[in-house]
Amino acid sequence: MKKRKGLYSWLAALLLVTVFASGCSGGGQKEGGAASPPKGEDGGKQVEILLGYYSSDSSDAKMKELIDRFEEQHPNIKVKTQSAPYGQFYQKLDTQIAAGQAPDVWLSDGVYVMKYAQRGAAKDLTDWIVRDLKAEDYYGLDFNKDAEGRYWGVPQGIQVGVLFYNKDLFDKAGVDYPTEDWTWEDLKSTAAKLTVDAAGKTAEDAGFDPASVNQFGLTFFSITEGWFSVMKSYGGGVLDEKAENSIVNTPENKQAFEWMVDGMQRGIITDPVDLKSFQSNTAVFPSGSAAMRIGIYARVQAANEAGLNYDVTLLPKGPDGKRVSPVIANSWVINQKSSDKKAEAAWEWIKYWATEDEVQKQWTELGEAVPVKKSVAQSDVFLKAGEQPANRKAFLDSLEFAQTLDNNAVWEEWVGKFNENAERAFLGDATIDQALSDADAAVQTVLDDFYKK
Amino acid sequence: MKYKLLGRGIAYLLIGISSLIMLVPFATALMNSLKTYREYTTVPPRWIPEVFQWSNYAAVFKLGNIGGYTVNSVIVAGLSVAGALLSCSMVGYAFARLRFPLKSALFVMVLGTMMIPAVVIIIPHFMIFNELNMLDTLTPLWVIEWLAQPFGIFLMRQAFMNIPKEYEEAAKMEGCNPFQIYWRIFIPMARPTLATLAIFTFMGKWNEILTPVIYLTSNEKYTLPIGILSLSGQWTGNEQLMIAAALVSLVPILLVFLFAEKYFVQNHNMAGIK
Repeated sequence: MKKRKGLYSWLAALLLVTVFASGCSGGGQKEGGAASPPKGEDGGKQVEILLGYYSSDSSDAKMKELIDRFEEQHPNIKVKTQSAPYGQFYQKLDTQIAAGQAPDVWLSDGVYVMKYAQRGAAKDLTDWIVRDLKAEDYYGLDFNKDAEGRYWGVPQGIQVGVLFYNKDLFDKAGVDYPTEDWTWEDLKSTAAKLTVDAAGKTAEDAGFDPASVNQFGLTFFSITEGWFSVMKSYGGGVLDEKAENSIVNTPENKQAFEWMVDGMQRGIITDPVDLKSFQSNTAVFPSGSAAMRIGIYARVQAANEAGLNYDVTLLPKGPDGKRVSPVIANSWVINQKSSDKKAEAAWEWIKYWATEDEVQKQWTELGEAVPVKKSVAQSDVFLKAGEQPANRKAFLDSLEFAQTLDNNAVWEEWVGKFNENAERAFLGDATIDQALSDADAAVQTVLDDFYKK
Repeated sequence: MKYKLLGRGIAYLLIGISSLIMLVPFATALMNSLKTYREYTTVPPRWIPEVFQWSNYAAVFKLGNIGGYTVNSVIVAGLSVAGALLSCSMVGYAFARLRFPLKSALFVMVLGTMMIPAVVIIIPHFMIFNELNMLDTLTPLWVIEWLAQPFGIFLMRQAFMNIPKEYEEAAKMEGCNPFQIYWRIFIPMARPTLATLAIFTFMGKWNEILTPVIYLTSNEKYTLPIGILSLSGQWTGNEQLMIAAALVSLVPILLVFLFAEKYFVQNHNMAGIK
């Protein structure tokens, strides 16, 4: 037994070292979840909130400036921040929610607000919104309203879809620019003239080869910048009003799909395989490989960076004159589990963000999103924010007929299922009828898994 | 003789060609890191940029706190390697050589834990580290490795099982206790395996994304992978800069690999046995 003593004492030493080292590497920092708010002079009026947001390098600096300004105005509120790159932000957030450690207020992608609401992670903000915000001053408060009329978030910045077009490619082909009277059929017949194969023939010429297209008439993918607005303006859609049942299998959707599949088979619209040959789905338009795209406001950045000569206009109308733009309202959400005091402090932050012109202006200058406050959006801060696109008003006009993307608790799951089946139709692996009825069943299953339990 | 040379020539040629094929993705990444955004997105793709944008590499260092991220990554990877080598070799030695009750059952359990997907463990881990007040510190990223991970245990046990009994017996005659046998004989003899484990651990920790994202909140504590990711935004990224940053972050892995490689070729388990 004596022989083992060396080993045990060594192990004990190692454990001590480990514990000691880990205790030190904290650097004396207290974690938001465990820290009690520092007591101010006035008997604990001070409150500390944790603010979570996703950001890039450029927006991070701006966000920090705006937070500093907020703390100056509200000396009793201390804001701790937690940020992560967009792709990782939600992994972290979902872990924290599961562990009861989520931020008091966080920035949610518009399509996830209902997920947090319906899973009990987000606080119902209806009373505060009614009390403090004038609905007519803002774009998109209603984008976070559920079927019962409750509000779950306040928009931080808005993304709305319009039609982008590359002026140089139109000029080269000698074709007139898109107008606001276009239907989807008009778009397609013009797009055909702008679709060029390797031999220089357009989709209208005899002997055109759809397998070797170098320049597409329209680039098109997934939901927001793909099928959503087409299906909706044809009078169809994926989910019903309550976003709890599938309405995929309808004649209107079939008509919309016929328009899309025909365009892809003729080589005019990028199909899922075409997209694979590009660095990314969003690179097709900025690289000058497509004459038009359905694009949200944020796409302006890449188009400007690539130095395109382009402009934007409203999305085309459906056969009956119906027009629908996709909209995503990225929003501030308050944690359901936060104490009243913290939730109220978090609401102060949201109010500051939405009501202060200065904040709205500074955020608009980043060029990432359409401002939520109408007075700022309708001023030169937004409308004259840059040389291009000239017709920025199209974004604001589109908000008049914008619809959210059937957001609900299982949004990501059903969109995935729908895309899988839609792609089979797009690539000609299934008939449209087959794809729609399969999609209908798959989407309904996802919905029932959540709502019927 | 002639034929032998010819055969060897053909073999080298084949090896050479396949190495070149392996290098294509890497070369593509290098070329992409030297383009402007416009060149990067152009279709059909141009493989070689018109003008090599060496300034991209300078831009990477200006963009974010790359130096700080690197220091954090070195701390995490370094401490993880140290922890994995010590803890896994000890446990591996116990399983390979010591006698204690339920040894086989315990070993099966250790292997069994390898079957549990990492994602399942994230939330319990997160809660434990939260209770220990270690969120937003680098500790959770490396301390786990001091607790002997099953893959390392398995690797070390296999290496120690292959060491001939004669060494141990000789050492016992000289009056060594089990710990001394482990420390003076087994550790030096298992160098190639230790080097393998060191490389695996280093690479795993160096490239890890999920754990740092979940535990770290302040930018100054970021490790390289999430530091690089934070250079890109939700909507638009300067992808060419991301690639440049990723290539920069490869350098330490190459250095570790070159350093550890010499131990791979030294395998003298049979020395001193007649």
